[in-house]
Parts: sequence; C-alpha cells; structure tokens
Amino acid sequence: MPEMPPDVTLDEVKERARLAGLSIPEARLGLVRGFLVNALRPIRALDTRTVRTVEPAVTFDPKGGPEAGS
Amino acid sequence: MSADELCYAGIRELGGLFRRRELSPVDYATDLLHRIERLDKSLNAYVTVTAERALADARAAEAALRRGDAGPLAGIPIAYKDLYATKGIRTTAGSALLADWVPDFDCTCVARLQQAGMVMLGKVITHEFAFGIQFPGHRFPPARNPWNLDHIPGGSSSGSGAALAAGLTVGSLGSDTGGSIRGPAAFCGIAGLKPTYGRVSRAGVVTLSWTLDHTGPMARSAEDCAFMLQALAGHDPADPASAHEPVTDYLAGLEGGVEGLKVGVVRDYFFDGVEPETVAAFERALGELGRLGATVRDVTIPSIHATPAFMVIMLTEAFAYHERDLRERPELYGEVVREKLMAGGLFRADEYVQAQRLRAQLREDTARALESVDLLITPTALGPAPAFATVLDPDFPFAKSNMGPFNMTGLPTLAVPTGFSSSGLPLSLQISGRPFDEATVLRAGHAYQRATEWHRRRPPVRA
Repeated sequence: MPEMPPDVTLDEVKERARLAGLSIPEARLGLVRGFLVNALRPIRALDTRTVRTVEPAVTFDPKGGPEAGS
Repeated sequence: MSADELCYAGIRELGGLFRRRELSPVDYATDLLHRIERLDKSLNAYVTVTAERALADARAAEAALRRGDAGPLAGIPIAYKDLYATKGIRTTAGSALLADWVPDFDCTCVARLQQAGMVMLGKVITHEFAFGIQFPGHRFPPARNPWNLDHIPGGSSSGSGAALAAGLTVGSLGSDTGGSIRGPAAFCGIAGLKPTYGRVSRAGVVTLSWTLDHTGPMARSAEDCAFMLQALAGHDPADPASAHEPVTDYLAGLEGGVEGLKVGVVRDYFFDGVEPETVAAFERALGELGRLGATVRDVTIPSIHATPAFMVIMLTEAFAYHERDLRERPELYGEVVREKLMAGGLFRADEYVQAQRLRAQLREDTARALESVDLLITPTALGPAPAFATVLDPDFPFAKSNMGPFNMTGLPTLAVPTGFSSSGLPLSLQISGRPFDEATVLRAGHAYQRATEWHRRRPPVRA
C-alpha cells in the first residue's frame, strides 16, 4: 500500500467533495482544507498496526435491565 | 443588599432569603425580568423571555416554600440554552431550520429542574446548532460579552454565559461538545461544569455529535453548579448513553477543601499557544491551591497530541446528523456553518475509525495519569475572549482547543475564573477529575473560589 501523503491538498479536497456529492464554493475550499489538514494530521502520523482496535460495539449488562444486550 | 447585588446572589443565599421570607420568589423573578428588559437590548442573550411562565413558576415555588416542602432550587431563576426542548415554548437551536419548532415535551434536564422548583425566565441564544458563530445576516443577532460588547461571549452556549455574567439569571444549562460550556464560562468570568459523559441526560437536546455531546450546568460559582447537578444527575432511559452509576451527594463534601488532594498539571500540549497573561494567572492559581494544602506536580499524557482527531469525530457525526437537510435545504443553514458541516462529509470511514482508536488511546493515557493524581488542572482557553472582528473572518480557523481532550475522554471538567487580562477580560482554568468524581472537581473549584474573589467581580453592564 503506498504511503499516505502528509498533507491534504486542495485537489484532494475537491476530489473528496466530488465523491461525497457535495458542492463547496471555491472560496471556502481553503477553509475546508484547513480543517482536514489539522484533523487528519494525527491520523496520518499513526501507525495503525500499533494501536488497539476500538472496544466492541455490543456489550451485555450482567445485571440485566432494559438496556441489557442492546 | 442592593438590587444590583441581589441579582448576582447565589443559590444558597437566595434560598435562605426565600425561606426566611425576606425575599419573595415572585418579586425576585419580577426584578430579573425588568433587568432583562432593561439590559438585554445590548447583550442579546435571550431569544425568548417567558415572563408569564416565570411568574407562574415563582408563585408555585412560593407556595411550596410556605408549605415547607420546597427543595434548595425552589424559586431559583434559570435560563435554558435554546437547544433544550421546552414544552410549548419555541426551541430554535439557533437555526432557521427549527425557527418555528414548538416541542410538545420538556427534555429530561428541563423536566428535572422544573420539578425541583426552578423558575424559567426564558431561552438563551445558542450558536447555530451549537456549532457555528453567528455571522451577519443570521436569524438572531449574536450575544455580546458583558465585559466588553465588542468581544464574543464564547460559544456555543453564548447566551448562557452572557446572561449569567450580566446578572440576568442565576443558573443556566449549556451543552458541551468541544468546550461549549467551558468556553463561555471562561470568556464571561463564570463557572461551567461539563459532567462525566453519561452523568446528565441529553434526551431532548438537539444533537451535534453524539459521542462527544454533554449537557451540564452553568452558574456564577462551583457551588451553584453543584446545586444544579444534584437535581440533574441520574440515569435516564431516554438517553442511550446515560449511566447507571449512583448519584453522589455533591454538596455534602463541598466544604472539604483541597488539603491532601494531589493535583496534576499537563505541561505538554495544554500550554501551546497560551497567552502569557493566561499562563501567569494559571500559575498564581496553582500557588493558591498549594497554599490551601493541595500537592501540585506535573504529569504526562503521551497521546495528548492526538487531540485534533477530535474534529474528525465531531464533524463526521455532525454531518451524519445533518446530511439530509444539508442536501435538501442547504439555504436554511448559515453560509459558513453549512460549509463547516459539509467538511464532515469529506472524511472517509477508515479515518473516523482511526480517530476513535486514537480517542481510546487518549482515554487510557489520561486514566493512567489520574491514577497518580486526583485532579488535572489546565488553562481553559488560550487567552481572553477574542473580538467579533477577529472571529467573523470567514476564514478564521478553529483554534487549538484545551477543552476537546475532555470531550474525547468524557471526564468531568469544571471551568472557573482565575483573573483578568490587562484588557479587563476574564481568564479561566479547568479542573478535571476521574469518571463520575464530580464531587472532588466541584470541591476543588469551591475551595479555590472561597479563597479568591475573581468570580465576584461584575462587568460594567449598562442599559
């Protein structure tokens, strides 16, 4: 798998918007890119092989009750 | 006590006056309604004033006080963030989408506080869907900071912060997804508690990001937050994240002080970009806690720099909540808010999952830090409230946040004032504790407030 680029480019923002079917005005693309760059920085720096998986989505309450098994 | 002093009284003091019949809840509510009428023109804290309802609530509280079956919140005025559903009262979430929504139910928090005898003064403004700043042309004018009208009061619980600082209510409820209780508390010089995730119900409160959303009390002191939390806390089957954890007596140990408590300071991340005046106020506060008997030492949270992944979670969940309306009725969103929400549609599924994995790591590391100390103390905001002119630049980015880590970890966190900038604006620190240990968090905040006077300063509010 190719290594992920460290930053999000404007072209990548446009491509993501196209794939999502969202229309973002040209003047705001820089702002949106800023969000993505900042938010994705720790994820792109992450070695996903070294982090535990997220806890299971299903839990059972041994005491029972209305939420048990949900 | 003058009328101006009385409008800033706390819950314990007001309760005493009501019980001794030195003050009538009806007269007090009437005075506050007049004050709102006089002063809120320049502050815009309220979107709806429920004067008739307030007087009816106050009369009911007065009757209960006379019968001797009233609790500590009876007759205490409150203003609800306009994100909380209120039966028969318009609830807009600060949005044109919900401009005419009149719920046929009270959300759990409102029901609990009204049941406790609080007096509903009205609904206070929220940023659009608890998210965006209100830009010019927005349906509602933005609330202004009572300490300086050219500055923001913080958000998204902007009306709550402004109303409390200006003495236009005694209590309020805010919501906090990334700091929306603590930010306005910091910028307005008041107290705000984000309880543990699951401690206070969110049922009937408009969602922003359900794994990060918290509801909680805002007031002028830690003690008043404790009074309100006592009535709010407890399991609610209507909120799937609501905890079964037993409710502590938050007032019983409130006077216990900080003697013997171990306080941890995370020097990494939380001081990046923090203005020197805020750091100086913070260090003075640490000194004060030390003088009061707490042991202060540095601790580390190795994964703290993963905090910005918070935005992936928040924006993705917010987009998931709003997607249908964003696609079908985009014109009903404020322009900049719409594009910020749309940014949440640009993350990939794997990025959301990785963000949750980072969050789990942050939660574990923070729990480990809290094995060696009882509390974590950090600056709430990077500096005092910025000016409207700064934040109304559409390209103004989300600043680095000291508050987001505690939404990611779900830990109880209280913001209290720690001083003032040279420009006369409030500064603040936040106290975080172990899950469901609001009692210790509030006890430390109360001890600090007994020893300091910052929360007793009043802004120069004029009609």
